[in-house]
Amino acid sequence: MAELRLTVNGAPRTLEVDDDTPLLWILRDQLGLTGTKFGCGVGVCGACTILENGKALRACQLPASEIAGRSFTTIEGLSPDVSHPCQRAWMEEEVPQCGYCQAGMIMTACGLLNEHPDPNDHLIDTVMSDSVCRCGTYPRIRKAIYRAAAEIREKKSSSP
Amino acid sequence: MKISRRDFVRTVALGGAGLVVGFNGRGIFAADAAKQFAPNGWVKIDIDGAVTLTIGKSEMGQGVRTSLAMILAEELEANWSRIKLVQASPSPVFDDLGTGGSDSVRDGWRSLRKAGAAAREMLAAAAAARWKVDRGSCAASNGAIVHTASGRRFEYGALVADAAKLSVPNNPPLKNARDYKIVGRRTPRIDGRDIVSGKAHYGIDTKIPGMLYASLERPPWIGAKQKRMEEEKAKNVRGVRNVMKTSRGIAVVADNTWATIKGRTALAVDWGEPPPDAFDSEAHFKRLELASRERGFITRKEEPPPGTAAVARTIEATYHYPFYAHAPVETMNCVADVRENRCTIWAPTQAPNRLQKQVADLLGITLDKVDVNVTLIGGGFGRRLGVDYALEAAEISRAAKVPVQLLWSRQDDMKHGHFQAASVHYLSAGFDAQGAPVAWKHTKAGSFHNISALDPKEVRDIAWYQDWSWGAYDVPYAIPAIETAYVTVDLPVKHGPWRAVFAPSSVFAREVFFDEMAHARNADPLAFRLDLLKGADIVKAGRVTIDRRRLRRVLEVVREKSGWGAPVPKGHGRGVACNAYFGHTYIAYVVDLRVNGDGHAHIERVVAAVDCGIVVNPIGVEQQIEGGIIWGISSALGGEITFRGGAAQQGSYADVAVARMRDTPAIETHIIPSNGTEPFGMGEPPVPPIVPAITNAIFAATGKRIRRLPIHPEDLA
Repeated sequence: MAELRLTVNGAPRTLEVDDDTPLLWILRDQLGLTGTKFGCGVGVCGACTILENGKALRACQLPASEIAGRSFTTIEGLSPDVSHPCQRAWMEEEVPQCGYCQAGMIMTACGLLNEHPDPNDHLIDTVMSDSVCRCGTYPRIRKAIYRAAAEIREKKSSSP
Repeated sequence: MKISRRDFVRTVALGGAGLVVGFNGRGIFAADAAKQFAPNGWVKIDIDGAVTLTIGKSEMGQGVRTSLAMILAEELEANWSRIKLVQASPSPVFDDLGTGGSDSVRDGWRSLRKAGAAAREMLAAAAAARWKVDRGSCAASNGAIVHTASGRRFEYGALVADAAKLSVPNNPPLKNARDYKIVGRRTPRIDGRDIVSGKAHYGIDTKIPGMLYASLERPPWIGAKQKRMEEEKAKNVRGVRNVMKTSRGIAVVADNTWATIKGRTALAVDWGEPPPDAFDSEAHFKRLELASRERGFITRKEEPPPGTAAVARTIEATYHYPFYAHAPVETMNCVADVRENRCTIWAPTQAPNRLQKQVADLLGITLDKVDVNVTLIGGGFGRRLGVDYALEAAEISRAAKVPVQLLWSRQDDMKHGHFQAASVHYLSAGFDAQGAPVAWKHTKAGSFHNISALDPKEVRDIAWYQDWSWGAYDVPYAIPAIETAYVTVDLPVKHGPWRAVFAPSSVFAREVFFDEMAHARNADPLAFRLDLLKGADIVKAGRVTIDRRRLRRVLEVVREKSGWGAPVPKGHGRGVACNAYFGHTYIAYVVDLRVNGDGHAHIERVVAAVDCGIVVNPIGVEQQIEGGIIWGISSALGGEITFRGGAAQQGSYADVAVARMRDTPAIETHIIPSNGTEPFGMGEPPVPPIVPAITNAIFAATGKRIRRLPIHPEDLA
């Protein structure tokens, strides 16, 4: 048990946790940020995906011993008003069915778009195939990623 | 206000706070007779104009909260932005909650429209009385009653106190379909914003004061006895409060989820070795194969009319359908708070009343002492019609004397599923000397669900057996002699409904065999289907009525939209299949795919045509087609569960290959405009015909006939 300091959604947090506690359970059980979901616990389903400096990471694979001083964004912190281009595109394209995997899907897509602002089908297949949706929302996720990418590029080109 | 037993709906004045309309699917509902009926919803209009609908169906991705609200809002002429939903809990009023069988929208269509129309008529009558004008001169629109001539208006909220004093119309006028403003409109999901912002609350997100966390180690095979375990080591894990034996396994109870996981690992339960006769799926398939050659229980028999030509040539084939897991991303979980003589449950469940009953029985208390809160469900697919996880949680909470959240690991979820049962299908067809099909036989060897005990008193008649063999006995094709049969084979692992229940295996066998028949006589498989859907437009099989015109229509649409018949490149193939789901929803698919040299089938495009009657929300219909196709692709390309030593051998998404983005084809959905009078379900019907369309396309591409699922690359290399 050790004191852990980290930043989540811009807010500094100090916690007492065991060194091996995955960030997933810190977020869910201790910080009450339940938007990040458990799906497999071994990094193969993507439901717990979060962002660090715009890069998508699996919260179930990040033990407390490795996260001190780091800063993470969860679905709750992606935008204050559900205005992030991915969130908007997810609603515009009517992606969710049960919705359980979608926070992870959105965060994974954010990571993809941060690295590749102009993705293609091959990149989407490669990156998004590490995440599981049993409702089968993949065709709409693909469309939503293209829609979000277009909006992000448009914003960039119109800003000074 | 006088309420008669004949009233379809009733009003209840809630201390003057609003208008409440209760209703039920059987049409009669009165205050003093509530126990006799099973209302599936409530409409409440508050004085501020908010409309609250209590939803009696569980939301698991099928969009039912949105579509049921749309049906109500249409007849009520409600302001869509003022609709609020609350989820029903089991009670004497809600005594038949359950979500399955693709019947939510169909049920809601009957009850919600009348409830909405009755409330609208009462509000209009109240407004007319205030203005001292004819009801006929008033119109309801967007949450208000308007006096058309003068333009005066009352918001609904201003009228509810008056309206609640009026008697309820028995047969309120329903809107004409051409006047629909909401039904049929592309309507975004009510929960969409909560989902994309992480606010949507699923079972796993439940947290109540004083709650501890639990994980349960279950016997890996039926009858397994724990030999050794490291109880002290588990208790020494920081955060672990207790290790306790229950009738269903050994529970680790802790302060947080991670401690339960570590504690269970430390517990290292040794279950010994399974007995030599423990369940083995390979041996089970051998039993099924033998059984498929037995006569079985005849589920349908059509004698050939006099003058039918004799069989000159017979073809036959046997199809193997494996075990599958549901594998929803949200694993089974439940929060139970068992107190002295009382219990509260929070669960993602498709069967709230069954859950309530079984928990009450377990605890030895009455139904009214068990409160069940139904949460959003992170994927149901039939798995959450079983209530095992709630019973486990209740038992642990009782033993621990605190509220607990039981969470299954992914491994638990894969190994302790209520699997889709394996089956083997034997089909044969006879052609006359001219090559016309004159005889059809389909014997299914399978197993009855065992997630709850069958009622031994139930009469096992033909209707009962037909219920276990949808997709087989209701073969839609016009063949003079038809015989379908069911052979029961005991299956000692838990198995139960899986999306589309019995249909996927039977429709796979039927539609692939039909393709084999077409090829046996060099016929185009799509044209051959249309040929054998001629004759009587309406055919009856047991409880099912099939309208062949609707089935022909979906086939004609996919023929046209897919460019059926156009040449395809080498290594590519195009396949077709169709199904009439319970005579309700009609779907045809054309699949385009290519098979690589390494034997991997890459599904490139699926063209779908669907006739589900009246379309409530086109977005929902499209989503279910897409989801059903991808569900089917998962089962075609992987996802098999095998058993050795009584236990499932797969334990994660790494060993159960479910479809991913890279497996996803382009999907085109064509919704057939319907002149029908009701909507039919869409949750299950898209599943059964997709797998045979895929394997028929593989045959077209490679000449290799897939008769055993899932498809392995070595089958095609």
